[in-house]
Amino acid sequence: MDPRFIRNFSIIAHIDHGKSTLADRLLEYTGALSQREMMEQVLDSMDLERERGITIKAHAVRLNYKADDGNMYELNLIDTPGHVDFTYEVSRSLQACEGALLVVDASQGVEAQTLANTYLALSHDLELIPVINKIDLPSAEPERIREQIEQLIGLDASEAVLTSAKNGVGIREVLEAVVKRVPAPKGDPAAPLRALIFDSWFDPYRGVIILARVVDGTLRVGQKIRLHANGRQLEIENLGYQSPKPIPCNELTAGEAGFIFANIKTISDAQIGDTIVEESFPDVDPLPGFQEIKPMVFAGLYPIESHEHGLLRDALEKLRLNDSAFSFEPENSMALGFGFRCGFLGLLHLEIVQERLEREFQIDLITTAPGVRYRVTTTSDELIEIDNPQKFPDPSSIKHIEEPIIDATVITREEYIGEILKLLEEKRGNQKKFEYIGGGRVLLLYEVPLNEIVLDFYDRLKSASRGYASLDYTLSGYRISPLVKLDVLVAGEPVDALSMIVHRDFAYERGKALIERLRKLIPRQMFEVALQAAIGNKIISRETISAIRKNVLAKCYGGDITRKRKLLEKQKEGKKRMKRVGRVEIPQEAFLAVLKVGTDTSE
Amino acid sequence: MPGVYISYPFCSQKCTYCNFASGVFTRNQQERYDVALVREIEAHVWQWQPETLYLGGGTPSLMEFGPLESTLSPIPSGALVEATMECAPGTVTAERATFWRSLGINRMSLGVQSFVPEELRRTGRRHTAQIVESDIQVLTGAGIRNINIDLIAGLPGQTLASWRESLSWVERLSPPHVSIYIFELDEDSNLGREATLGGIRYGAGLLPSDDAVAEMYELAVVELAGLGIHRYEISNFAKPGYQSRHNLKYWTGEPYAGFGLDAHSFNGGTRRGNVDDLNLYLDRMEAEQSPAGEASTVDAEEERFFVGLRLARGIQPTEGEWRRFRDPIEQSIRDGLLEREGGWLRLTPRGFLVSNEVFQNFIEVRAGLV
Repeated sequence: MDPRFIRNFSIIAHIDHGKSTLADRLLEYTGALSQREMMEQVLDSMDLERERGITIKAHAVRLNYKADDGNMYELNLIDTPGHVDFTYEVSRSLQACEGALLVVDASQGVEAQTLANTYLALSHDLELIPVINKIDLPSAEPERIREQIEQLIGLDASEAVLTSAKNGVGIREVLEAVVKRVPAPKGDPAAPLRALIFDSWFDPYRGVIILARVVDGTLRVGQKIRLHANGRQLEIENLGYQSPKPIPCNELTAGEAGFIFANIKTISDAQIGDTIVEESFPDVDPLPGFQEIKPMVFAGLYPIESHEHGLLRDALEKLRLNDSAFSFEPENSMALGFGFRCGFLGLLHLEIVQERLEREFQIDLITTAPGVRYRVTTTSDELIEIDNPQKFPDPSSIKHIEEPIIDATVITREEYIGEILKLLEEKRGNQKKFEYIGGGRVLLLYEVPLNEIVLDFYDRLKSASRGYASLDYTLSGYRISPLVKLDVLVAGEPVDALSMIVHRDFAYERGKALIERLRKLIPRQMFEVALQAAIGNKIISRETISAIRKNVLAKCYGGDITRKRKLLEKQKEGKKRMKRVGRVEIPQEAFLAVLKVGTDTSE
Repeated sequence: MPGVYISYPFCSQKCTYCNFASGVFTRNQQERYDVALVREIEAHVWQWQPETLYLGGGTPSLMEFGPLESTLSPIPSGALVEATMECAPGTVTAERATFWRSLGINRMSLGVQSFVPEELRRTGRRHTAQIVESDIQVLTGAGIRNINIDLIAGLPGQTLASWRESLSWVERLSPPHVSIYIFELDEDSNLGREATLGGIRYGAGLLPSDDAVAEMYELAVVELAGLGIHRYEISNFAKPGYQSRHNLKYWTGEPYAGFGLDAHSFNGGTRRGNVDDLNLYLDRMEAEQSPAGEASTVDAEEERFFVGLRLARGIQPTEGEWRRFRDPIEQSIRDGLLEREGGWLRLTPRGFLVSNEVFQNFIEVRAGLV
C-alpha cells in the first residue's frame, strides 16, 4: 500500500467517555463489521475487559475507507489499554501511530487519565484530533469542553468533531478528520526493515502472536528476522491483519500494522517496544523508547488450601505465558505456608491476575497486602532490593532505605479539594502544582511515595471526592526515607504475612489502627487472644480479643436435627476457610487489613 | 416408645424472632390445611403405639375444636403418657382448656418469651405477665398442671436487670418446666435478617451483646436451680419428674413421626422432613402426593455426640465411639468443655454455652455444602 493512503491512529479517552462505542461505530461505518456480527464492544475481547469496561490488551484493526476525496484509505485503528498501570504499553501503541483521537465526554470534561495519555501522545508528536462525544446527553456542554481542551491541553479545539457515538452521529466526520489531519506514515519501504512490536500475547494454538507496526522496509512471509533486544532469530510463518477478523497476507510494508506468527514459544521473547530487524541487515538503529517492563507492586499469593500450591504454580505459569509484565517466585510464610511473591505493574494488574486465578483456575487465594520494592543500602554499602517485608534486613545493618516516588496527577472538583489535600498530606505527599482549570475544576500534581498509593489510596480518593476525582501517576524516582518494619504478633506469635514497612513517624498510629482493625476481623476464639504491634522488640500497641462466650443452638423445631447439623457444618466449613496460626483461626480479610489501616479507625 | 409430632403453622401474627415455617395465612389456606393434615395422618400406617404427642406451631391453641378433634382421633392413643400442646398466652379459655383436657392433652407449653412489656411489644406479642398468670390458673383449673414456660434470652432491649424481672415471674408462677432459648440471629427471622443487614427495625439495634446473653443464660441456670428447676438439656429445665418425654426422644435418638408443614420424622435409621412451603404442602396433599422431602441416612455415632451431648447427664459412648472420637474428646476435655466420669461424657458448665464449638469436632462436613 502506498503510505500516502495509510493512516495509523489510536483513541485516547477516559473510562466511560465512549472509546469502545466510537471504535465500534468506526468499524460499522467502514463495513469492517456488519451490525449483525457486532458484539456490543468488539475491541474488548476478554470477558474481564468487557465486565470492567476497560481494555487490557491493545489491538489493531484495519478499516478500509473511501474518503470524500475519492481515494481509498487504509486506516489502522490501534487500540490502547486505558489504565495507569499500563502506561508503557500505551506509549508503545502511541508510538505506532501518527495521530490520535482525543475523546472527551461532553458533560464530564477532561480527566487526569486523558490528560496523562494526551501528554504521552504529544511527546510522540502525534496529531491530536479532539472529539467531543455524548453530545446527545441533556447535560452536554460542548462549548465549555472545547474551552477546557484549549485551556488545559493548549490544543486548538475550534475544529473539534462533535459526536454521539451511541447514536452514530459524527462518525463520517471523524473518519474524514483522520484522513485529512493525521499525517501519512513517513517510513521508507525500500530501507532496511524496522518494525515496532507494540503488543504481543500468547495463543495456546499458535504460540506468541506479535502485533507490529512496520516503520521502514517490508515484512514478508518466510523472511528471516531478528528481535533486536534479545538477538533472537526467527522466521516469519504468517502475516496478517485484523479487520477485525484475522485476514492473512503475504507482506506488510512501511506504514502498515498487522500480526506476525513466528513460532515463538514464550511471551518474554517478544517484548513490547522491541524492534524487529531483518536478519540480513541487523545493524540498523533500533526504534527509540524500548524498556524492560518491571513490576512496581508486589504481593504474596497463597492458596487457602495448602494442597493447591501446585495448582497455583501451574496457573501462575500459564498466566505468565500471556503476561510478561507479571512476575512470580516461590515464597514461604510461617503463617500462610507455601505461596508466591508476585510482581505487578500496579493495583489493577494485581486485581486482574487475582480474579483470573480465582475465575479461570478456581483457586481460592489469600492475597497479602501489596507493597513496593525498596532499595536498601547496608552499612557495608551493599545495595539490596526488598519487595517483601519478610526479607527486611536487621535494622542495625541498614545505612539507609530508598522508596519509589511517583508524580501523581489528580483532577477533581473544587468542592472536594479540602478532603483530597488532607488525604494527600496524610499520604506523605509534596505539592508540586495546584491549578484551577476552569469549570470549577482543579488539577493537583503531587509527589507521593508509591507505597502510600498501593495502600488504600484509590478507595480513599474515591470516597473523598464522591467519585469525582481522576488519578494518574508515573514513577519519578527514589527517595531516602526513615522506614521501619512493623510486625504483628497474634497470641504471642509473629504473623509474618501481616508485617509491613512504614514511615517511622506513622508507625505508632498505623500499628494501633492495624491492631484495632484486626481485633474486629479475627473472630473470638475459645481462649483469650492478645494482638500486638511491634517494631523490633518494642511493643507499640496491644489489644485483646476476649474468649468466645456463647455459640449454642437452642431450638429444635419439631425434631429437625438435620437443620442443626447443617448449621454446625456451616460453622465448621467457615473455619476451614480461615488460616490457622498457632491455635488461632485468622480469616482471609485479616491479611488485607493492613491495606485499610489509616482509613477510619472508628469503624 | 416412639413419639408423634404435629405441626400447625398458623398464627395471628408473625413474631419478629420466629425462624419457623409458621406465620399468618389466609382462612382458606387454614381450612385446606385442616383437611390435608388429617389426610396425612390417616394415611399413616401405625406400626407402633406412640408414647408421646406434641402439637407444635405456629399456634395450635388457636385450632378450632372440630379440626383439632379430627386431627387427634386417628392417632392411636392407648400408650400415650404425654400429650403437649404449644400455646400462645391469651388464647386460653376455660372452655378450650376443658376441651383440650378431654382430648387427652395433659401438658401445655406457653410461648411467653418474656415477662417485660417493652420486650414483648417489640417481638409483636400481645400478651402481658398478668395474662400468663391467669392462663395458668385456667389450665390448672381444667386439670392441666404440667406446664412449660418458654423464655428467650437475647431479645432486643433485654438487659440483665430485665431478665431478672422475667425470672422473678418464673419464681412467682413456679411452673414445673422452663425452656430457655437463646435468640438465634439468622436470615430466617425478620429480626435476624434486619440485624444482619445492620438495620434498626424490630429493635434490631438494641440486641444485647453475646457476653450479656451468655450472662443471662448463666444467671437463669443458677436462679432456676434455686427454684428446684434443673437443667437437663442445653435449653430445657424441669423439676424432678417433669422432663419433657417427647423432647427427650429427640436427644436420645428415639423414633418419631411428624405430620404437617415442615414436620420431621425419624425412623431410627433415616430422617425425613416435610416441605416447608405451605402452598407446596397443600398442593402435594391435594394431589395425593407425599409431602416429604428427601430422606437422609444418619450417622448414629455422630448424632449421639452432637445431639446426645446436649443432655446434662451426657452420653455413654460405646467403645467404638471412644476410639473414633478420641482426638476431639481429648481436645475438648483439655479445653475444659467436656468432662468424663466413669463411662459418661458430658458438657462442663462452661461447655454448654459454647457447645457448637464442641459439636463441630464430631461431624464431618458432607459434600455439596456451602
